[in-house]
Amino acid sequence: MSFRHLWAVIRKELLHILRDRGTFLLVLVTPTLVLLLMTYSLAVKIQHVPIALLDYDQSPTSREFMHQITAGDDLDLYENAASMEQIEDLLIKGKIKAAIIIGPEFSKDLLAMRGLSLQIIIDGTEPETGGFAVDHIGWRAESFANDILADQILTSGISLDSLEPIDLRIRSWYNPSLEPRIDIVPGLLSIVLGFPAFSVALTLAREHEHSTMEQLLATPISRIELLLGKMIPYILAGMVNVIVIPLIALAWFDVPFNGSFLEFLLLSAIFLFAELSMGMVIGVFMKSQSAALALSFLVVLFPGFFLTGIFFPIAALPEMARMESLFLPGTHYAIITRGVFLTGIGMDTLWPYAIMLVILGAAFTGTAALFFKKKLA
Amino acid sequence: MKDNSITIQTSGLVKKFGDFTAVNHISFTVKKGEIFGFLGPNGSGKTTTIRMMLGLLPPTQGSIEVLGIPVPDLITDILPRIGYMSQQFSLYNDLTVAQNLEFYGQAYGLVPENMGSVIREAVELSGLDGFEDTPTKDLSGGWRQRLALSAAILHRPEVLFLDEPTAGVDPISRRLFWDLLYELVAEGITVFITTHYMDEAEHCHRLAFIQHGEIIAQGTPTEIKREAMIGDVLEIDTNQTEDLIKAIYEARDNGDNRSLNAELYGSLIHIFSTQPKQHTKYLQTLAKGADIKINSISVIEPSLEDVFIACMRDSDIGGNHEE
Repeated sequence: MSFRHLWAVIRKELLHILRDRGTFLLVLVTPTLVLLLMTYSLAVKIQHVPIALLDYDQSPTSREFMHQITAGDDLDLYENAASMEQIEDLLIKGKIKAAIIIGPEFSKDLLAMRGLSLQIIIDGTEPETGGFAVDHIGWRAESFANDILADQILTSGISLDSLEPIDLRIRSWYNPSLEPRIDIVPGLLSIVLGFPAFSVALTLAREHEHSTMEQLLATPISRIELLLGKMIPYILAGMVNVIVIPLIALAWFDVPFNGSFLEFLLLSAIFLFAELSMGMVIGVFMKSQSAALALSFLVVLFPGFFLTGIFFPIAALPEMARMESLFLPGTHYAIITRGVFLTGIGMDTLWPYAIMLVILGAAFTGTAALFFKKKLA
Repeated sequence: MKDNSITIQTSGLVKKFGDFTAVNHISFTVKKGEIFGFLGPNGSGKTTTIRMMLGLLPPTQGSIEVLGIPVPDLITDILPRIGYMSQQFSLYNDLTVAQNLEFYGQAYGLVPENMGSVIREAVELSGLDGFEDTPTKDLSGGWRQRLALSAAILHRPEVLFLDEPTAGVDPISRRLFWDLLYELVAEGITVFITTHYMDEAEHCHRLAFIQHGEIIAQGTPTEIKREAMIGDVLEIDTNQTEDLIKAIYEARDNGDNRSLNAELYGSLIHIFSTQPKQHTKYLQTLAKGADIKINSISVIEPSLEDVFIACMRDSDIGGNHEE
């Protein structure tokens, strides 16, 4: 290994990144841009869902109930409907996402402790919003009914202290308010850092396309010097993202950063080594940039979404997919980023994942070097 | 090194791609300090041969020695001592002239202390003074070609491999390029060059004709003209070249003088002939019969182009290839 050769390739590649606008954007701008875009589109907090009400009871209790339902930011009363026809019309026009129909016996049943005669209709074309409405209406109705029942019990002279109901309280640690954004930003980091891997695949394919590869192989630069020299600049570029993105996450999305930043940088560099080695394997096999790009989407980006446990829990995957997820650097890095950002754990806990990333990186680089030789020698 | 005067030696070189034989038992010797031309049509195996000599392709059979060192076994020992300019001038278009030169300089291990002067020299050699900071993509074909040559010789290689360096370059640039080559050879560099330009073949010290992966003639231009060419060339001057060629081939189709081949040569016709006297008479009779006026017929010394075409035709008639 000659450092002069290695430096020759690194320097050339850095010049490419700075001179070629496409590469510059892909490596230094795209990761941040995609992260912002995806955070906004995926982690939207559902709020102010418009609903309509059809009150057949028209009692003080039902009016009080309705008041409580729409007391928060989550559900807004759009219309006090007069008939089922009107509700149907509002649903079809998309003015409301859910409707609550209060039965004529609502207050009577409630006071007699016979349950709630309540009907909820949701717009099934938007199951996310509909499900949200059902959940929230359910919670409100339950607490409303409980309050009424407690009043009933008290008025009938039974002390509440003598009752020992099961008190199940769910507490979410590390993300106490269960804000989806907090969880998604560290996870997305492992996806958007795949873009420098695209560039590694593309830069190798580009040498084939412009037939400079043949010239390179006729120089005394060895194959491994060439591969490492091509990868290191993109690791450096990836590290720029590793520094910029947490700053944005902290300032913009109020994501907590509980771990050590230095350890985070080190673990990220190891991840980039593994992830970019994957790009290198693609670049070794694909001789054109378009083919390299297509395969990068297939091997780097899509599994990043579906198999690394960011959106879909790995435990819920079929066995084969679970196996595959182990071979994706993103799976391990997602655990690392969430750990460092949210839990605040460090190297002492995360070292097995770091070792796994080193193994994957070495295996991918080895594969690339092996086949690079066979393909052109 | 066994023999200092021999720079490249191949024997029985074969390269097969599946069923296709790209190079078929090629043997040749390149001597130190000469320009060795490898002449052949597109697809004849020139690039395959050059790639084998550079260790980029392993030969199926046969041996190669460059500077007395076996290829591809010890190719890493040789690479620092040779220069290569591949078919498409392999420069990085987004980098500037100086950045391209610096990259190849570093690739060949030039020390930083020498880099400045070496690059200045290379820029002067290629005539690109003042264009050091110009992106390579803004250079025309001839300039790019000279820059690529300068990049290939930055480290003063002992052997220079050039794969069709003049393809697609204008005649004046080609002329300048050859002047540069002669300067290099005067410094003691050995040049192996492939081309399909016949006029360039005359510039080479020695050449090999290659067709369908086989060498069909080799030697100095004079030797090739003397030995490889069977027969003479009749040069016919007529104002009705097309009519005459048509008449010759029509007569041939009817059974007359089957071996007679006519080629257009500028405004003249060249005919390869083993019996020039009889054929001159025959042609005059033929022309008269077809009412074609011949200004003159003379036996001339064949050019390399004549020889090359004659050789190619002979080997085709021999049926050495399967097509």
